[in-house]
Amino acid sequence: MSTPAKSNRRIDGFAVFWAAPALLWQSAFFVVPLGLLVAMTFWVVKSYRLTPDFVLRNWERMFTRDYFWTGYVYTFELALLVAVLASVIAFPAAHYLAFRARPSVRRIAIFLLVIPFFTSYLVRIYSWKIILSSEGVINVMFGWVGLGPFEMLNNAFGAVIGYLTLCLPLTVMIQYFALSNVDRSLIGAAHNLGCGALRTTFTVTIPAARIGLILAATFAFILTFGDYVSPAYLGGGTPPTLSILIVDQTKSGNHWPRASVVAVTMVVTLITVLFSALFAAYGRPGARR
Amino acid sequence: MSKLITPATGLIQRRTVLRGMGATGAALAAPNIVRAQDSDKVLNLLCWPGHNDPAVIGPFEEATGIKVVAKEYVGGDNMVALVNQSPVGTYDVILSDAEFVIQLRDGGFIDPMTPDDYPFEDFFPEFQKFPGHWLEDELYSVIIRYGFLGVSYRTDVLSREDVDSYQILLDPKLTGKVGYFDWYLPSMGCLSCGAGNIGHPYDINDEEYAALLAMMDQVKGQNAGFYSMADTFSSLTNGDASIIPGVGDWITQLLAADGVPVDSWVPKEGGVQWTESMCIGKGSAKQDLAKSFIQYMTSPEGQALSAVMPAYNASIPSKAGWEFLNTNMPDDAKRLRMTFEDDNVMDDYAQGKINIRKTPVQQEIEDWTDAWADFKA
Amino acid sequence: MTGPSRWQAIWTGCVFVFILTPIASLVFFSFNADRFPSLPWGGFSLKWYVAIFEDVSVRDGFWRSLRVSSVVALLATFIGFAAAYTDYRYNFRGKLPYLAIAALPPTVPVLILGLGMLSFFSMVNLVGTLYAVIAGHVVICAPFAMALIRMRLADMSPDIEPAAWNLGASRWTTMFTVTIPWCMPSIFAALAITAAVSFDEFMIAWFVSGLEETLPVRILALLQGQVSPRINAIGSVVFFISITLVALAQLLGGRAGRGT
Repeated sequence: MSTPAKSNRRIDGFAVFWAAPALLWQSAFFVVPLGLLVAMTFWVVKSYRLTPDFVLRNWERMFTRDYFWTGYVYTFELALLVAVLASVIAFPAAHYLAFRARPSVRRIAIFLLVIPFFTSYLVRIYSWKIILSSEGVINVMFGWVGLGPFEMLNNAFGAVIGYLTLCLPLTVMIQYFALSNVDRSLIGAAHNLGCGALRTTFTVTIPAARIGLILAATFAFILTFGDYVSPAYLGGGTPPTLSILIVDQTKSGNHWPRASVVAVTMVVTLITVLFSALFAAYGRPGARR
Repeated sequence: MSKLITPATGLIQRRTVLRGMGATGAALAAPNIVRAQDSDKVLNLLCWPGHNDPAVIGPFEEATGIKVVAKEYVGGDNMVALVNQSPVGTYDVILSDAEFVIQLRDGGFIDPMTPDDYPFEDFFPEFQKFPGHWLEDELYSVIIRYGFLGVSYRTDVLSREDVDSYQILLDPKLTGKVGYFDWYLPSMGCLSCGAGNIGHPYDINDEEYAALLAMMDQVKGQNAGFYSMADTFSSLTNGDASIIPGVGDWITQLLAADGVPVDSWVPKEGGVQWTESMCIGKGSAKQDLAKSFIQYMTSPEGQALSAVMPAYNASIPSKAGWEFLNTNMPDDAKRLRMTFEDDNVMDDYAQGKINIRKTPVQQEIEDWTDAWADFKA
Repeated sequence: MTGPSRWQAIWTGCVFVFILTPIASLVFFSFNADRFPSLPWGGFSLKWYVAIFEDVSVRDGFWRSLRVSSVVALLATFIGFAAAYTDYRYNFRGKLPYLAIAALPPTVPVLILGLGMLSFFSMVNLVGTLYAVIAGHVVICAPFAMALIRMRLADMSPDIEPAAWNLGASRWTTMFTVTIPWCMPSIFAALAITAAVSFDEFMIAWFVSGLEETLPVRILALLQGQVSPRINAIGSVVFFISITLVALAQLLGGRAGRGT
């Protein structure tokens, strides 16, 4: 029987036809623009005009600014917080759907989980603005029982609500798939050995679904770290996250090089986080799925 | 409307010529990608939000059959950035803040204009040779509307006496209630007045700049937030902010008309004038269309409709526009204080509290934007 | 139902309430007459819907988004399929970097992609065209298509294609008679997902679209410039259209899947 290995070594038109599109497209429109971004960090702006050059001034200027580091720390903290929050909030739900829910409930739940992906994120954020504002729905309801009003907008709370709106559906989804793939006989065995439900979850289920759980948290981190809309429209922009810094730099005075410095710093951070997460998920010796 | 008809009829013959030129241009620029907005029935306008509202430009579109397509920006720096990113000739008309006209000129983004094309004789004398619009005796921009910036405040929290000095920003009862429209230029200009740089908030030496930074440091603890245009309206409406320095009537006039308890005032240390004016984009294939559009905007009707633009109201420089407003929309004329009898906006002008907004004179723009970023962090 | 299980069900319910609240609220308030929507209910009105149907910029934006997302769906699904098939069928030196380039774009924030693409497209004079928006959207959409199709391919035995080749079918014939039909459900899913992602994407589009504003860019401008329940109305219309499309895709995808 012919094995795929035989075809592997052949470079022919057929193979090139299927391999080339992604390579060409992503090189032209992904790699080149990102490379340009790196190059731009060394350019200068002369009377609002971007001019190729090789100076380190932009890096110096950003890295010696307090607002840059305040923004960096704040963004990182928020992303970490949301990754943890989203994971913790999502887990009981994903666990319920994977192990406890009736199939009909599960089907409806999955359908409901898909809906947010087809609803404009921008519009959902606008919707939260209406709900959370000091004269909004929630505060009106609090008012009925004599509480509030609470400030839920233009602060970290508002931003986190927005981030969770962005991340939670995806987190639940990934966790659910990860948990569904856990071998049921493992859990059954744990129960048979007298392991309680909670203990089984922590000693058997979570380790078995580790890869998916880490991926879910990582996605939440990545999405939060780069999001502009939630911190700007629900978080009030103070202190500015890195994404807001980028937009501010491009809006005020056309500081493309400095926006690029922030962008490149973000990409480096994200790559570091992503690879650490992948290492934690796949890389530990003896932890094969 | 009479102003419109003459250039519009002349337009048709010229347009045939233009079309020919346009086609040659397109052929030369091949392989240029045809943009949908290239149709010669379309005028591309770069402007602050709301300037392409049918309530303002409807009569122009009806009379000429031309569609005005707008790209919106917030803040003059944003505008220059957008112009920079776009291919030459993208925008036929650019609505610029007055202080950025010189940057547009220096960047080679706008063409000089012919003064005789526009009804300057209709304007109040103060606006006939507006600084920054005439560079080396060439006209680059025509003033459309303006307004004053000081503080906007909730009248249920503060009185006019309270806000007669920027010192109110430091009042303990306003902790967490001082908001800002997120653009450094007007905000820092008003704070500069408050820091004692009276009469020259943008032209300040090192010592005076230090005073401005010190003032910003002091009021930082009071900050409520930094708002987009929409949020500037809503934060005053829902009380998230009790006072916003660096804005003015353009925010509060419409809200007050809606019954929100807000007002604006220029404190005794002085305030800032914002000025919106229109330029013709360099390389625009529709120079004549652009001209007739600006003619419409400076006509009595265009002026009056622009004063009551639904996104934000403004004062207008055309005396003929005032007359049109008083005849056809007397209530609005009263509300906007553009009547000839009572105490009107031109009196404010004469009082000398108003400084025309500029980009920083002695510092780099970068220094100011950095200070603003620090202020926000 | 046991005690802890009930609590878990309630928790799950709360999570779904959180996820669905903004969507329910936007549909609800799109029919509210007040300009600053809140409780109590300001009266039923269709005026925001009338406003958006009359608003030329919203209508233009909608058609542009529709054009962009259809082209993006086709291109991204083709590229995604090609990359997934390459990963499935071939081993070659440099495969890891190849897969990284093909799969990583969604991990870079769209804001940063937008920034880079704006500089790039302004150099090649494509800024302000829908071509730029399409090119950018395909970059972030193709990996989703690739992931979906690759999952489906994982369930196809690697021996099936070689069996067909041995029986004398050419590679192309095999592709069109065996592989693509097998992948059909995931291809439909990929078309739907990529169309949806493109239709909703506003950051890249915001940077590169210039005057050719897509619908989400229009929404962003509305969000920045004015307070207006028109945003609710636009959101509701888009929501109902997308849900219809999803249902349609599922129906078609399901049928094609059963057909093989």
